[in-house]
Amino acid sequence: MNQQFEYINPQSLDEAVKLAGQGSVYAGGTDLLGLMKNDIAHPQRLVNLKALPELKAVERQKGKGLRLGALVTLNELAENEMLQKDFPAISQAAGSAASPQLRNVGTLGGNLCQRPRCWYFRGDFDCLRKGGATCFAMDGENKYHCVVGGDGCYIVHPSDMAVALLALEAKLEIYGPGGQRLLPISHFYVLPEDDPTVETVLQPGEIITSVIVPEQPVGSRSVFVKFRERSAWDFAVVSVAAALQVQNGAISGGKIALGGVAPVPWLDKKLNNTLAGTALDENGINKIAASALTDAEPLEQNGYKVILARNMIKGVLQSLAG
Amino acid sequence: MADKKVIKSRYFFEEDFEEQLAEVPAEKVAAWDKKAKLKIVGKGVDRYDAYDKVSGTARYTFDIQLPHMAYAKTLRCPYAHACIKSIDVSQAEKMPGVLAVLTADNAPKIKWYRGTSYLFDRHLRYAGDEVACVAAKSERIAAQALKKIKVEYEVLPFVADAGKAMQPDAPKLYENGNIAGGKPSVYERGNADEGFNRADVVVEETFDTQVVVHNPTEPHCSVVNWDGDKLTVWDSTQSVFGVRNALADSLDIPANHVRVIKKYMGGGFGSKLAAGKYTIMAALLARTIGRPVKISMDREEMNLAVGNRPDSVQKLKFGAKKDGTLLAMSHYSYGAAGAYPSGAGCSWPLRSIYKCPNVRTEEYTVFINAGPGRPFRAPGHVQGTFALEAMIDTMAEKTGMDPLDFRLKNYSEIDPVSGQPYTTKRLREAYEAGAKAIGWENRNKKPGSDSGVIKRGLGMASQIWWGGGGPPTYANLKMNRDGSVEVLCGTQDIGTGTYTILAQVAAEVLELPMDKVSVILGDTAVTPYAHGSGGSVTAPSTTPAVRHAAELMKEKLIGYAAAQMNLPPERIAYRSGELVDRDNPAQKMSVSALMRKVREQVLVTTGMREANPEGYAVNTFGAQFAEVEVHTDTGKIVVKRIVAAHDIGRTLNRKLLENQFEGGIMQGIGFALMEERVIDRNTGKVLTTNLENYKMTLLPDMPEIEVIIVSDADPLLNNTGVKGIGEPAHIPTAAAIANAVYNATGVRFKSLPLTPDKVLQGLYGGVKQG
Amino acid sequence: MAEKDISRRIFIKRLGTGVAGSGLALSQLSAAVSAGKDDDAGEKAPKDQVLLQLTVNGKAVRLHIPASLTLAELLRDRLNLSGTKVVCNHGECGACTVLLDGKAVYSCHILALDAAGKEVLTVEGLLKGEELHPLQEAFVKEDGLQCGFCTPGQIMSAYALLKQKPHPTPDDIREGMAGNLCRCGAYPKIAQSVLAAAKSNARAER
Repeated sequence: MNQQFEYINPQSLDEAVKLAGQGSVYAGGTDLLGLMKNDIAHPQRLVNLKALPELKAVERQKGKGLRLGALVTLNELAENEMLQKDFPAISQAAGSAASPQLRNVGTLGGNLCQRPRCWYFRGDFDCLRKGGATCFAMDGENKYHCVVGGDGCYIVHPSDMAVALLALEAKLEIYGPGGQRLLPISHFYVLPEDDPTVETVLQPGEIITSVIVPEQPVGSRSVFVKFRERSAWDFAVVSVAAALQVQNGAISGGKIALGGVAPVPWLDKKLNNTLAGTALDENGINKIAASALTDAEPLEQNGYKVILARNMIKGVLQSLAG
Repeated sequence: MADKKVIKSRYFFEEDFEEQLAEVPAEKVAAWDKKAKLKIVGKGVDRYDAYDKVSGTARYTFDIQLPHMAYAKTLRCPYAHACIKSIDVSQAEKMPGVLAVLTADNAPKIKWYRGTSYLFDRHLRYAGDEVACVAAKSERIAAQALKKIKVEYEVLPFVADAGKAMQPDAPKLYENGNIAGGKPSVYERGNADEGFNRADVVVEETFDTQVVVHNPTEPHCSVVNWDGDKLTVWDSTQSVFGVRNALADSLDIPANHVRVIKKYMGGGFGSKLAAGKYTIMAALLARTIGRPVKISMDREEMNLAVGNRPDSVQKLKFGAKKDGTLLAMSHYSYGAAGAYPSGAGCSWPLRSIYKCPNVRTEEYTVFINAGPGRPFRAPGHVQGTFALEAMIDTMAEKTGMDPLDFRLKNYSEIDPVSGQPYTTKRLREAYEAGAKAIGWENRNKKPGSDSGVIKRGLGMASQIWWGGGGPPTYANLKMNRDGSVEVLCGTQDIGTGTYTILAQVAAEVLELPMDKVSVILGDTAVTPYAHGSGGSVTAPSTTPAVRHAAELMKEKLIGYAAAQMNLPPERIAYRSGELVDRDNPAQKMSVSALMRKVREQVLVTTGMREANPEGYAVNTFGAQFAEVEVHTDTGKIVVKRIVAAHDIGRTLNRKLLENQFEGGIMQGIGFALMEERVIDRNTGKVLTTNLENYKMTLLPDMPEIEVIIVSDADPLLNNTGVKGIGEPAHIPTAAAIANAVYNATGVRFKSLPLTPDKVLQGLYGGVKQG
Repeated sequence: MAEKDISRRIFIKRLGTGVAGSGLALSQLSAAVSAGKDDDAGEKAPKDQVLLQLTVNGKAVRLHIPASLTLAELLRDRLNLSGTKVVCNHGECGACTVLLDGKAVYSCHILALDAAGKEVLTVEGLLKGEELHPLQEAFVKEDGLQCGFCTPGQIMSAYALLKQKPHPTPDDIREGMAGNLCRCGAYPKIAQSVLAAAKSNARAER
C-alpha cells in the first residue's frame, strides 16, 4: 500500500467516535484496505475498533431478541449454533461470504458498510460514485449491475448480511457524536437518486455498534440463498433471504429481501405484498415469484437477473414449504 | 555410441513447425521396450523439489533479495490508444529514494515486438503499454513516483474488437492495417465446395471463444545484477536461453556476458516463453544506478500486459454423406492478437484429426487495442477443438449417429495433412476406455430429455496435439567420486516435474537410488542447451538426452573399470552401481571405489536427444468425457466428472502425470465456465484486472477426475518412448463440457464461457424483460 | 546504529539469493527474528514508524514499522520468511495465508499492526528443525502441488482446517480450502493431501 496514515487504538467507544470524525473506522479492514489499495479511500487515520470488547458480543434476551455486536466476525456468525438453529438466514449469509480467511477477519459491521464491487467504481474510472460525471456501467459492461433502483448509478449492494437482516427486519444501533440512534436496516441504505456517492446514512464519526434482530414469531422460518458464478470467493449475482411465518400451508407474515438486484438490499413491494395469505403450493409459489421485480428495468446485459431472482424465490419457497 | 552428426531438425512447437540444425547421436540408444520392467521410471516417486516447496524454503525469483537492491515499477498508458506528446519526470526524480527514471526520452531505441515497436515507444497501442519505468530504493517509493510523472497524451481513436478492427473504417493500429500480414492464412486440401455439393447433410454454425489470461501465481519478475560488464539475471521464465538472447541483443552485449538463472517458478502456461520488456528495463536501470534491480508485475499488470489467449470467432461448415462420412469441412475464423504480433489461428485440430478429403481453412489474426497475446497452453487448439467437436456432435445428430460412432467412422489411420503414418495412434483405444469409464450408454439418447430442474448430460471430445519434441536438446551428466550424480540440462521445471523425471531417468539407467541424483536446470552459464519449456516438448526432448548421457556414463565407467581391473571392457558389466566381472561375479568394485582411482574426481558425459524418425507424423491423442449438471433455474453448470483417456507414450511418473492432467482439466473447466477478460467497450480498458473479477476455478469447482493412459510407449519416437502431456491434458476439456451441456439441455451454446447469464438466455430465449 | 542496521539488513537479504539449501534457510529465520529483537529494543521509533511486538513462529519479535506495512510484507521483507507468497496482494487468492492466533487469514490483506500482541504461524513454523510436519509430509506423498507457489498458503489453510476439524469430510475440505487459488489446478491432489493428513492424525490418535 502506498499510503501513509496513523493507526490508533482507542480505549473506549467515546474515544473511537471522537477520533473517527477525522479518520476511518477500521475493524476487519477487508474492504477498507481494498479501497486504499485501489486509491479510492485515503484515510489519514485508521481508528481500530478491534480492541473494544463491547462490540464483540452475541446476546439473546427473552423478548428483546438478538443483539449482535458489530465486531463479531462473519465466521463467528456462521458457526454459532444458536443462530444456525433459530436464525439460519444469518448464519447462512455469513457463511456464504467470500472465503474462510476473509470470514475470520471481516466483521458484521464492516460487511454492512462495505462499498460496491462495481468494476468501474473499483477500477481506474472517474465514475459518478467517486464524484465524476457519469456512470460507465449504464451503457458499458453491466451484466453484474442492478435491474431496479438504479438512477444514474447502477451498482448493486454487495452485502449478503444486509439481505438476511433486511428479511429479518433487523435494526441497527448507531453511536456517534450526537449519541445513540436506532435505525431499521430498511432505512440504512441510500439509493443513488438520493445521493450517488454514498451507500448508507452513516454520518462522519458514526459507528454501527450492534445489530438488533427481533425475536421471530413462533412458526417462523428463515433462509438465505446466494447464487454466484464461482463456487466460492464470489459476490452474489442474486441472493434471496426469506423470513416467513407459515400457518396451515399459507404464508401469514414475514418478508423476502433480494440482493444483487438493486443499489441497496431490496425489499420488492409487490413481492412482499403478495406474500401474506398466499398458499405455499405450486400456484401460490409461482404467483409470488412472478410478482417479484415487475418494475425491473434491466440494462443491456443483465436481464437474466430477473429470471434468476424469480427462480431463486421459487426455490426458497419450495424449501420452506417442504 | 559416442559418435554424433548434425541434422536439420524439424518439429512442431506451440504455433508452428520449427526447423533448426541440431547435433544428434549417430547411433540411437535402443528404446526401452514397451514391456521393459523399469524400476524407477513409471513409478509414482515423490516430486524431487517437494520438500523445498512444502517447507516454504524454495526460493523463487520473486523471493530473491540482493544486498543494496533497488526496485522498479512501470508506468502504463491509461488509454486504449494514444501518442505521447511529452513526458515530464522532474517531480518524480526529485522524490527522495528515486534513483532513475526511464522513458522514451532517455532510453536507448531497442526494437521490440518483432520490430513493430520499441521498448519505449511514443505510439501506445493499448491501455497498459509501457510509458516509463522508475527505479527506487523501495517498491513503494517507485509506485509513488509513478504518480508524479506528468505525461501529455494525444488520445487516439481505438478499436478493441477483432470483428470491428477488420472493417475498412476502423481505427488503424499500424499503417498497413489491422490484419496481421495483410492477409489470412489459408490451408486447402481437395476441394471443399465440391465436397459440399456432393454432401447429403450440410451444417453451418458460428462459434466464439473469449480472451483468457494465463495468470500464473508467481508474477513475471526479474532480478538483475551487473558485476562490471557481466550481467546476471534471475528470471521467472520458461526459457532461460531465450531471455539471454533477448538481453544480449537488446543491450548489444556478448551472450557470454549474460547469465540467466531460473530455479523455481510459479507457473507460466506459455506467458513466460518469451523475454519481457520488464527484464530489459530492469537491466538498463541497474546499469544506470549501479545497483541490483528487482522488477515484479503486480496482479493488474499480470492481467493487462503479459499475454493472453486470443479470442476467436469461427464459422464452420461441414458436409457429410447420409452414412456419416465427412466429405468437406471449411473453417473461417478471426481472432485478436492484441496490439502486437502473436498468433490467433485455431484451425489445426480441424485440419488434422479426422479423415476428410476436402478441407479449407481461412484464418485472420487481427490487431486490436488490447494487451498482446502469447501462447497459452495449446495455442489455437483449445478454441478450435471447442468449435470442431461441437460441429462433429451436430453432424452425428443430423446423420442419426452416436457421436462416438461418427468419430470412429471418420477415424484417420494416417495424418491427413502430411499423408504420413503416425509413430503411434491409440485414439480408438482412448475412445473405448473413456466411454466405458464414464458410462457412455447412460447419456441422454435425446438431448435435453432429462426431466427435472437439474438436468444431467454426458459429452465427449477428441484431442490432438504434437508433443513429440526433438533435437537439439542436450544434457550433461557428472559422476562424482562418491558415486553421486548430477544431471545438468538447460530446460526449466515450470511446475510440471522436470526435475523429478530427469532424476528418475538417470537413476534408472545408473541403477542408483533417487537421492544419489541431483538435477540442475535453467542456468545458461552451466547447463547445456534445451528448448523453452512449452509445446509439451520438454519430457520427450530432455528425457532421451539424459538417458543418452547416463548410458554414455555407464560405458565410460566400464572403460575405467576394465583398465583398473585389467580386463577387456566386454568382460565388465554395470550392475546397481557396481562394476562386475561377468565371468567372475565375485570380482567387482563399486562406482565410488572406482572413482577414487580416477584423479579427475568427476566424469562428465554429454547426452543428446536423437533425431525424430523420418517419414512419420508424431502426435498425442486422447478423448475426454464429461458429466455435467445444468441447473436450469439458475443457469449454473456443475461439472461432476471428467474421464480423460489419452495416448501420450510412456508414463514416467504416474503421480505427477495424474496431477498435470487434473490441472489441465481444471484450467479447461475455467475456460469453459468462468474465465474471461472483459474490456469496457467505451474506453477500451480492461475491467478484469484482479482475481475477484477474473474468475478462475477454486477447489470446490473440482469434479471427480479419472485419468486413463491407453499407451505403453512410443519407442519409434525416442529412447524413452515419452511424449508430452501438458497441452493434451487441457485441449478437449471445454469442448467435452460444452457437448455434455448440449446433451443435458438440448440447447447448443456456441459462445464461451458458459456463464449463467448465457445459459439462462439460451434456456429462456430473450431474457430482457421486466 | 544506522551502520549496524544496514549491515544487518544486508546480511538478512543476502540469504535470499536462492542457492542455499533448505537447512540453512531455517537458521536464517531465527537469525533474522532475534536480530530484529536485539536491534530495536529500547530504541525510539524512527519518524513515521511505530513499534510492533508480536510472536512469529514461537519467537518474540519487536521492531519498528510504518503503519501501512501489511503482515505479508512484514514476514517477507522484514523477517525474511519468504515461504509466505504474495500473488494478488488483495485478499483474493490465499497464497499469503498464515495463522493469526490460530485462525487462517490473508496476510497480504491485513496490516502488520493488526497482529500486534498476537501469534503468527507461517509455513516455516510448521517445521521441526528440518523435519516436515505430517501435513507437509502428506502434501509430498500425495503430490498436492505443482509449481509450489500457492503451496505454503494451501498448507496453512489445511492446517487451520484440521485444527478446527481433525476429521473433515470431503465437503469440509471443499469449504475449508475454498479460499486458496491454485492456478496449476492441483486441487484433486491438494484435497487428497488434506484427507491423507487427517487420516494419519486419526491413526496417531488411536
